[in-house]
Amino acid sequence: MGASEYEVREGLFYSKEHEWLKVEKGQVRVGITDYAQDKLGDVVYVELPVVGRKVKQIGEPKNRDMELGAVESVKAVSTVYSPISGTVKEVNSTLQERPEIINTSPYDEGWICVVVPEDLDKEIKTLMDAKAYSEYLKNLG
Amino acid sequence: MMNYHQARWICESCLEPLIFEMGNKGGSRGILLPRGVGAEINIPEKMLRKSLNIPELSQPEVVRHYTRLSQMNFCVDTGFYPLGSCTMKYNPKVNEELADLDEVANIHPDQDEGTVQGALEIMYRLERLLCEITGMSKMCLQPSAGAHGEFLGMLLVRAYFRARGETRKEVIIPDSAHGTNFASAGMAGFNVVVVPSNNRGRVDLEALRAAVSEKTAALMMTNPNTLGLFEDEILEISKMVHDAGGLLYYDGANLNGIIGKARPGDMGFDIVHLNLHKTFSTPHGGGGPGSGPVGVAEKLEEFLPVPVIEYDEEQGRFWLNYNRPHSIGKIKSFFGNFGVLVKAYAYILSMGADGLKEAAEAAVINANYLMHKLADGKSFKVNYDGPCKHEVVLSAEPLKRETGVTARDVVKRLLDFGLHPPTYYFPPIVPEALMIEPTETESKEELDRFIAAMKAVAQEARTDPGRVKAAPTATAIGRLDETRASREPILSWRMYQRLKPK
Amino acid sequence: MVHPYIPNSRETRDQMLREMGLSDVEELFKDIPPELRIKRGLDLPPAMPELAVVNHVKSVLSKNLPFTKMPSFLGGGVWPHYVPAHVRQIVKRAEFLTSYTPYQPETSQGMLQALFEFQSLVAELVGLEVANASMYDWATSLGEAALMSARVTGRSKFILPKIISKDRLSVLENYAAGPSLELVEVDYDRETGQVDLDQLARKVDDNTAGVYIENPSYLGFLETQVDEIAELAHSKGALFVVGVNPISLGLLRAPGDYGADIVIGEGQPLGNPVSFGGPTLGIFACRGEQRLLRQLPGRLIGMTKTVDGKDRGFCMVLQTREQHIRREKATSNICSNEALCAVAAAVYLATLGPRGLRELAEVCAANASYLMKQLSQIEGIKVPLFKSPHFNEFTMQCTRGSISWLNAELLKRGFHGGKPLRREFPELGEAALLCTTELHTKENLDGFVEAVRKVMEG
Repeated sequence: MGASEYEVREGLFYSKEHEWLKVEKGQVRVGITDYAQDKLGDVVYVELPVVGRKVKQIGEPKNRDMELGAVESVKAVSTVYSPISGTVKEVNSTLQERPEIINTSPYDEGWICVVVPEDLDKEIKTLMDAKAYSEYLKNLG
Repeated sequence: MMNYHQARWICESCLEPLIFEMGNKGGSRGILLPRGVGAEINIPEKMLRKSLNIPELSQPEVVRHYTRLSQMNFCVDTGFYPLGSCTMKYNPKVNEELADLDEVANIHPDQDEGTVQGALEIMYRLERLLCEITGMSKMCLQPSAGAHGEFLGMLLVRAYFRARGETRKEVIIPDSAHGTNFASAGMAGFNVVVVPSNNRGRVDLEALRAAVSEKTAALMMTNPNTLGLFEDEILEISKMVHDAGGLLYYDGANLNGIIGKARPGDMGFDIVHLNLHKTFSTPHGGGGPGSGPVGVAEKLEEFLPVPVIEYDEEQGRFWLNYNRPHSIGKIKSFFGNFGVLVKAYAYILSMGADGLKEAAEAAVINANYLMHKLADGKSFKVNYDGPCKHEVVLSAEPLKRETGVTARDVVKRLLDFGLHPPTYYFPPIVPEALMIEPTETESKEELDRFIAAMKAVAQEARTDPGRVKAAPTATAIGRLDETRASREPILSWRMYQRLKPK
Repeated sequence: MVHPYIPNSRETRDQMLREMGLSDVEELFKDIPPELRIKRGLDLPPAMPELAVVNHVKSVLSKNLPFTKMPSFLGGGVWPHYVPAHVRQIVKRAEFLTSYTPYQPETSQGMLQALFEFQSLVAELVGLEVANASMYDWATSLGEAALMSARVTGRSKFILPKIISKDRLSVLENYAAGPSLELVEVDYDRETGQVDLDQLARKVDDNTAGVYIENPSYLGFLETQVDEIAELAHSKGALFVVGVNPISLGLLRAPGDYGADIVIGEGQPLGNPVSFGGPTLGIFACRGEQRLLRQLPGRLIGMTKTVDGKDRGFCMVLQTREQHIRREKATSNICSNEALCAVAAAVYLATLGPRGLRELAEVCAANASYLMKQLSQIEGIKVPLFKSPHFNEFTMQCTRGSISWLNAELLKRGFHGGKPLRREFPELGEAALLCTTELHTKENLDGFVEAVRKVMEG
């Protein structure tokens, strides 16, 4: 599958680790991209963050404070990093029963959690928009 | 090509039933027991068991069931088993007979030392042989497996620095390493620092230099590494780590590539683990028991687990020394997997110095021969130049790009040829990896058959990719739904009874 | 001549080298720096003929005195039992013996199903839903159980009884060292050996990850306050971990039925020889709930179907917990386990069935009961030291003379005595741990009693 065949949704913001972020009223919604779910294969388990947990925006070097959880397929585990600093407000508990919705609906039903950001205006500038992320995928080959 | 089909025992709708689905309740049993003295036993009612739901079967039913299961299992006695990093060599039969002797099977670890002199002598002698083979000063036979040996190694590293009043928290591991290395270091409380491989498939010296510091406790390495390549800059690496005060740990999974040709102790390694169930021919038993002895340089001897087997020359007897104040204690209940140790001891004697060297040479020739014949760049390629050692890592990327057939598909199709496939998708730094370790056990004819099968599969990927993707069909069972198995795990009969639709 | 274990002749080898454009095998080793090459060959004996190896190994081993030739009363973590002939024969079948870990499920259904059956049989035996495909031994299972309790609860204190094998304790300490778990011992009642409940209640707190007991205890008596201990552990949110000798469960209540969250133990007595203490078979089972399952160490075999939905089959599952995928974040570093010993255990349990296992447990316990009674009538011998019901092991104290003296004298009279306890429990004075199984005949037991009597009468 070529890079252009992955869905990149307009209006969302993207991290280099293939997390998406959607700005909502006073909060952001987070998930993994279509590209990420495809690379991982059939998702069998999603490790969700605890509500109330404080997270830091992803940066280098990565550390545990930036982790929101993990998405697992049969033979791989992918850490989900937070695209934004803040506090976890809500998690998608449907994923515990039906992890496969990450594969079938990564941008809608398969969202992972909602975070109340600390400094959205500043941090969002470090993320990619849809166009930039599409370019980024192309360069990954 | 050979016309192959594995046994497939079918009962109505499924393969051989589960043992829980067999038998007639309320009568059969598989063995009669002695009656004992018939004394009264005094166990309070509340501690007695009310029921136990396990099957009731006669002996022939039990034997037939497990014999049928065995027939649905591929093994190295029936065919080529080139799993990379697993060293599936011939398991000599004489070793089995020796390990079954009354004097091995029926001695207890707490017997008076005077009544187990033979066992202590075998262990003592085996330690000496393994020290000579590895170039280490002292061996501990306690670990049950390679990873268990790694864990012991990490505990020794910890004890060494503690005794020196240093706290070093980092263990450096190359990105091509076995997963156990990372896990063992983590379990012992170290932080893992990963160093990348260079474009020659070896540890990147510049990256290593940047990673090594006064925080470095140890560098864990496999040599030859998991790409089958000898780390030819090992002396520089060793110096770099030692200059920073760190220790060098050797993962012996791949020793078969250099045994009798070079020794980890001479390369500067301070701690070495071996896999007797790989290099030293003891059978793997479908996952174990193995044995993972750990050898150390002199400066680490005092930390080894208790007891240490000593020989008292004056009295002419072996004894167990527990009086070791700096010992880390124990990592296994008793002295190690003794039955496995006997087999490895017999193997080393059977091979002798020349035989071991010959094994390494034959294993290396076989691996290079496969590389020479298979890495054509069209279907399979090697990402790193130079002769390999005991194993070769091919990438099926060219084939995948052209046909969409993946390394996994190739592996599944090979099963139809009566071959066990190579390890695949490891090491992770090689895309579409096929990690092939033929060992010295395979003849040229067998290798040629494997080469022909690989080429046939590659050809088929171009002409009939659907057939490759539908493989295997000659095994007891077709491709399994591993996703379902992990999404809704059914891990026991009890769980199955609860979860199955009523 | 090449070695008989290597098929390719010199000629074939040379031909292969030529095909690769090489003239000498050394060219394949040229990347090993010259100063590292072994110059004169390893200092090992030359290859020995098979017969010579057999003769040599047998000759060395003849210095052992197996318990089949002289009755032994040793147990304490590995227990001598009869291994039925067919159990040995099945695990010697090359298909099981010479296969690797079942990474390719389609061609390894036999091993996978046998291991699934092992998991299922162990689960029934201990009264829980999930058992893994084995750990190395009881001690390492204990170490892993402590680590797992800490991960599941996010806490760092692990409570254990003072009566435990000190070798097992040492292994536990080594496993607990990585994440710096605090190990806290609970004392025992000097009369009964039972865990001191008041002390336990004081020690269990909000940072307690797990409470561990052994049943039967290391010194052979039953821990009968199991329901109270389970309640104490659970009231503070700690996991309840129980260690067992699986043979006892033919007779005794399953730990899962009295609240155990994790059950561990030594599976060797299930169809595996004592073999000087190894190979052994670590049992590891837990409740089926997600929060435990996700943290379980070791390999798990699961039932599934083929992709086309036609056949039922088995494969390794939840591998993302394991080292080859999760690396330093794995639930354990274990890779090779004791699979073949697990197959032996499955065949053994299927052979005995529920009634056979119950009878076996009864015989073991009855022999111990008889021996205790007979020994207790000897002057200078106190048996058992604890007023509690016992399974098949018990303590014996020698009030005149040391255990090492007694054992040395017994050896002269043709018996391996009990395990001296001085190193582990100095507070028990001159005491030993004795064990009986179905291997002991009445003659063995009476002969042993007579020998002890003679020695004590001096």
